Amino acid sequence: MSHTATTTRKQTVIGDPVSDTPEVSQALLEEIFQDIQADLRYDYELNGCLNCGICTATCPAAHYYDFSPREIVQLLWTENLEGIYDAMQEKIWACAQCYTCAARCPFGNSPGGLVMLMREVSIKHGMESAKNVLRPFSRVMLKLISTGNQLSPDMINPEHFADWGPNISKVDAPLKLLRQAIPMPTLNTTATAWETNLKTSVELYTIWEETGVLDQLETIDENLFDVILDIMDEKREDWEDWKDEQDD
Amino acid sequence: MTANNDDGGRFTGHGAEWRDAKLSREEAQVATAWVEQKINKRSMLTNKSRVHDIRDEMWRLEKEGEIVVHRIGEQHDPVIAKTLYGWDKKIPTQQLWHHKSCGQCGNIPGYPTSLLWLMNMLDIRYLDETDQTSCTAWNYHGSGIGNIVSLAAVFLRNFHQAYVSAKAEGKPAGYYYPLVHCGTSFGNYKEVREYLLLSADLREQVKKILGKLDRLVDGKLLIPEEVVHYSEWTHVMRKQIAERQVIDASGIRATIHPACHVYKMVPQDVIYDDDVLDGERVAVSTGIMQSLGTQVIDYSTWYDCCGFGFRHIISEREFTRSFAIDRKIKVAVDEAHSDVMIGHDTGCITTLDKNQWIGQADGKNYDLPVLSDVQFAALVCGAHPYKIVQSHWHASSTERLFEKLGIDWQAKKVEFEQYLKQVEAGNQENLYDPRRRITGGPGYQKLEQIT
Repeated sequence: MSHTATTTRKQTVIGDPVSDTPEVSQALLEEIFQDIQADLRYDYELNGCLNCGICTATCPAAHYYDFSPREIVQLLWTENLEGIYDAMQEKIWACAQCYTCAARCPFGNSPGGLVMLMREVSIKHGMESAKNVLRPFSRVMLKLISTGNQLSPDMINPEHFADWGPNISKVDAPLKLLRQAIPMPTLNTTATAWETNLKTSVELYTIWEETGVLDQLETIDENLFDVILDIMDEKREDWEDWKDEQDD
Repeated sequence: MTANNDDGGRFTGHGAEWRDAKLSREEAQVATAWVEQKINKRSMLTNKSRVHDIRDEMWRLEKEGEIVVHRIGEQHDPVIAKTLYGWDKKIPTQQLWHHKSCGQCGNIPGYPTSLLWLMNMLDIRYLDETDQTSCTAWNYHGSGIGNIVSLAAVFLRNFHQAYVSAKAEGKPAGYYYPLVHCGTSFGNYKEVREYLLLSADLREQVKKILGKLDRLVDGKLLIPEEVVHYSEWTHVMRKQIAERQVIDASGIRATIHPACHVYKMVPQDVIYDDDVLDGERVAVSTGIMQSLGTQVIDYSTWYDCCGFGFRHIISEREFTRSFAIDRKIKVAVDEAHSDVMIGHDTGCITTLDKNQWIGQADGKNYDLPVLSDVQFAALVCGAHPYKIVQSHWHASSTERLFEKLGIDWQAKKVEFEQYLKQVEAGNQENLYDPRRRITGGPGYQKLEQIT
């Protein structure tokens, strides 16, 4: 679905005169906005806005952050390119993705959904803000992209979750044994949430490649991208070896 | 209300023409009630005339030969439930393919084990297999890594596997119907299904990918007739479950946390049951807890999210724990004097259970047991609190709840610790034949008769 840039704003650059941050060209602002608009979901998730504020009244993130879903919708609706760029530096990452705003909006907008389009585009453009925000997320991405599981039992440990207190497990036994004691045979694992079939992982890698997810990853974290490529190569070799064994 | 200031000079952002309405607190409450955060049936009826039933589009596309629909047939023993606008939704109750949740399996394993235990109790045929990925939506909503095409391809790959999985057991395609465990998977899949049915462009992109994976049916995309969450199965089976109850739960004051991705994403597809809360709120979880005889107690922030935030639970838990304690746990304890908070989604149970202890640092000594609806149901139907309900993975004080239910948890814990020795010797007990978990690829055993 293609869209024509319809902005009427005259400003050619966005920049703070007392900051060292480089100015952003009008061309880049337009490109970013066009990328957001180009997603097929854009026209379904933005239908109009009368500034009623129901979305912000319902928003959990608005309790704690300088964030307002109403503002996000208004920036997009009025094609405020500078404001959109500015919101992509920090505000969009405050959203908790609960979709309360979407459930309540009288226009059927999905501010939470629009935030996702903006997050995707901030990654596509390799914004430093996205890289910084996602750095602590790399463990999850490594696990997900290499195994198809987002969380594994060995990720839940006091080192990473000290604030969860002393009761992460109330039975004192090795993790491996506790996992073996789960009466679902698929769950007797520690490095993945469930035992994943090798064929499944290999199919998932094709999806990542075909849909540009690996490109996103490379833009955000090149080192993580390299590690994941190595894992993918290894598993694909294992899969080919297994198939060869079946032929023999 | 704020102090009067009629000079228009107050910095309000409203401009000089702004005048204070001088409403009392009560009047202001009435005037602003319409923007209250409650996500109940009444608040969503206003959109009814503008919401389409996407299934009409699905049947049209199938009729035109563009897609194949994975139907819920008689073999799945369906029960009809009513959704937000009174539409019918078919809930399969037999021959179910468990689509697991990474957060549940990784962190709250008693959640899926309790569900499977209930199914064994009710003699439900199911398959729990290794050939599935997570929906990838937790990562997507947290990080923005992923896109509509990747989400759609993962969705249809997993559901295609559910469709063909029974072949490994010598049964026809479509024998098992997918049952989604995670609330985020449920919301995400429903949203993605809508876009797939609305966009020919998206269908074309996904079809190309699934073709490479050999995941098409007669060269077409396979779309599920319904996307079904386990809590919907639990809801329609609640009376059969309650018939097998062995522990009286009438003394338990339960608060319900409805999950955002279960009832706020694609809300028109959510079960509202006239027999539960007069059909005003999402029925799942409340329905089973009422059937089990507990006292379901209301609290003023029932509609709020838990604070999980997807990204926040990993890297910004200051928000998560503040929201979980102040907007949910504290309110459920102070207002409802709750004995247990019941949920039906992965992230919520994790957030509400694990983020209580840290509150002590701020003088907030709240300690409320948090369980999923199926864990509670299994418990009062006689499931072992450690071997099946796996309560030792919960940080909150589930022991207090056990005591109120008359369960000698100390004795049960000793039993479990002794059982661990049996497990160490390689003699663990399973809910099903472990050989069934692999339906293809390395480790697959073709067996003539697997029960």
